Amino acid sequence: MIGATAGATAMYQAMSTLGFAAESPYEGPIDLRGAPRGASVVILGAGMAGLTAAYELRNAGYQVQVLEYNARPGGRNWTLRGGDRYTEMGGHTQQCEFDKDFYINPGPWRIPYHHHGMMHYTKLFNIPLEPFFQVNYNAYLHSSKAFGGRPRRYREVKADYQGHIAELLAKATRQNSLDASVTKEDQEMLLESLRQWGALDSNYSYVSSDASSDRRGFEKSPGGGLSARPIPSKPIALHDILDSGLWSGVANGDTFDMQTALFQPAGGMGRISEAFAKELGPLIRYNAKVTDIHQDDRGVAVTFSDTAGAGAPQTARGDWCLCTIPLPILAQIPMNVGPSLAAAISAVPYAAAVKAGLQFKRRFWEEDEKIYGGITYTDLPIMNIAYPNTGFQSGGKGVLLGAYIWGMRAMEFTAMAPPERVQRIVDYGSQIHPQYHKEFENGVAVAWHRAPFSLGCFGMWTSATRAKHYDNLCQIDGRIALAGEHASFLGGWQEGAVTSALDAIGRLHQRAVAQGERA
Amino acid sequence: MRYAALGTAALLLMVLSANADSPMFTSRATIGSLNGEQIYDHICQGCHMPGGQGAVGAGAFPKLAANKKFGSWAYVALTVLDGRNGMPPFGYPAGRGMDSGPAHLSDAQIADVVNYVRSHFGNRYKAEVTADKISALPHPAAELIGPQ
Repeated sequence: MIGATAGATAMYQAMSTLGFAAESPYEGPIDLRGAPRGASVVILGAGMAGLTAAYELRNAGYQVQVLEYNARPGGRNWTLRGGDRYTEMGGHTQQCEFDKDFYINPGPWRIPYHHHGMMHYTKLFNIPLEPFFQVNYNAYLHSSKAFGGRPRRYREVKADYQGHIAELLAKATRQNSLDASVTKEDQEMLLESLRQWGALDSNYSYVSSDASSDRRGFEKSPGGGLSARPIPSKPIALHDILDSGLWSGVANGDTFDMQTALFQPAGGMGRISEAFAKELGPLIRYNAKVTDIHQDDRGVAVTFSDTAGAGAPQTARGDWCLCTIPLPILAQIPMNVGPSLAAAISAVPYAAAVKAGLQFKRRFWEEDEKIYGGITYTDLPIMNIAYPNTGFQSGGKGVLLGAYIWGMRAMEFTAMAPPERVQRIVDYGSQIHPQYHKEFENGVAVAWHRAPFSLGCFGMWTSATRAKHYDNLCQIDGRIALAGEHASFLGGWQEGAVTSALDAIGRLHQRAVAQGERA
Repeated sequence: MRYAALGTAALLLMVLSANADSPMFTSRATIGSLNGEQIYDHICQGCHMPGGQGAVGAGAFPKLAANKKFGSWAYVALTVLDGRNGMPPFGYPAGRGMDSGPAHLSDAQIADVVNYVRSHFGNRYKAEVTADKISALPHPAAELIGPQ
């Protein structure tokens, strides 16, 4: 029977068990043929994992019911738009006052091209994608402690860092310092490559020149006619680059997850879960707070209460249960599973993160500073400013991401009331964009530890906790399997949720098929 | 709504008084100077809320006020050191990583914040925890991996 389900499903399992799948293991639509007649699965959580599982299991013939705590689908796949209200734990309610069509994605906001599962479902549901600019050469790298606190263009820092390193390496080569490691023939080619890579002059020096300005930008850019003649710019000294720490931002777009091309759904990340929810319709039960999960040898009973009304607790039953509830919440829900799974559920701390959206009267970052999309990195507590990757030159107002904060600083912002978060984010941002105070209109700030539906941003694993708990977390316990980004090696990414859901339902399906129709 | 019963002026005062005009503390350079009360105000209350009131959503952040489990100082200390049910650990080794990494508190700071929460919010235990007592407890070994 298990042979009938081989192929992609078995491949997911092999790869994720070994854990060396550098790229998303997604290999095309899952094959769940042969579902036993009448078999049912209750799915807990309508985030990306739960929605993926519900869609595929329903299509395979399973009877599916999804319980979702929120009044909306998506979980962390979520877009805050003008008119939306959001109440965080502790009771603060924020009204998003953005103008129509403006939004922020408080959670995931980018999809790398190699997240094949996410790409598959966005295509399946005809969701238009826009380019997401991870790297914008004209955005800033900023240190409050260097260059008088003035930001530098990414382009300048990258060109100068690279140019100076090329010059040093060329010098070492020509002084025969590399003779032990590079042959004479290779040294010639190395020198030529360093000249090209670093925009060096004929003496292998990184100096103010047309060549270096062609990387870092000109003092006066070339044009046409009588005023055409360009004036080269002067590089930043190596010492100043190193001392500023700005070199640490040069490789921001080089990691596999951040490499071009990346995408964002037009209209917000939430368009994806909205499309799933439209497809699944009444199979999703909203406002359902799970209070107990109990399995026996015949099935799983999930007790939940309706958060919108009073009423007695209700019970959803299934032959199987796919549970995507984030671990800080699941750890508090009574559930009869074995000690190894219970220990794994309690072993994963959840990250702090804060994002804020700010609406301004005009798109000054485009009009004044010629920054079209992309991200500015700063050592200020706001850590990032991300400019909208859409609506360029549209005139009028704009919304940017005023902060994306993690780690201990995110904890400190979480501890503030939302209006103070926004105020401080505007204050800090004005050190980079002096236009902030004059142009600011309104803002929202989401602190993920206070998200009532996740109690954190994503699960943080160490190599030690992975070794001890990860496989136990992913193993099916009786009739219950877990899925979500926390059950993946793509922590914090939606692709982790999608691929963990497909992996889990593939294994549940094998068990269901092996067991056959219910006795 | 927690503030529903309060007037606008009172709300404004509460919002502004929490951290008004104080610098951001939690950088590698400055976090070591925080005392127990400051650690609570700048870190713990993000989840456990002002006054240790806790909060409820799909899951709950435990209420620290008048908490019966606080009779055991070691329970509180181990929770701060190692985390619990999604709560991040604060007992990681110092000195590695950047401001974006997890927060590290010294044994003396952990003793101080444990004493603080066990003697406030309706808890009336005496300040019996010392840095030496914290040092004797197991600490998490490795730092967490960074964000995605």
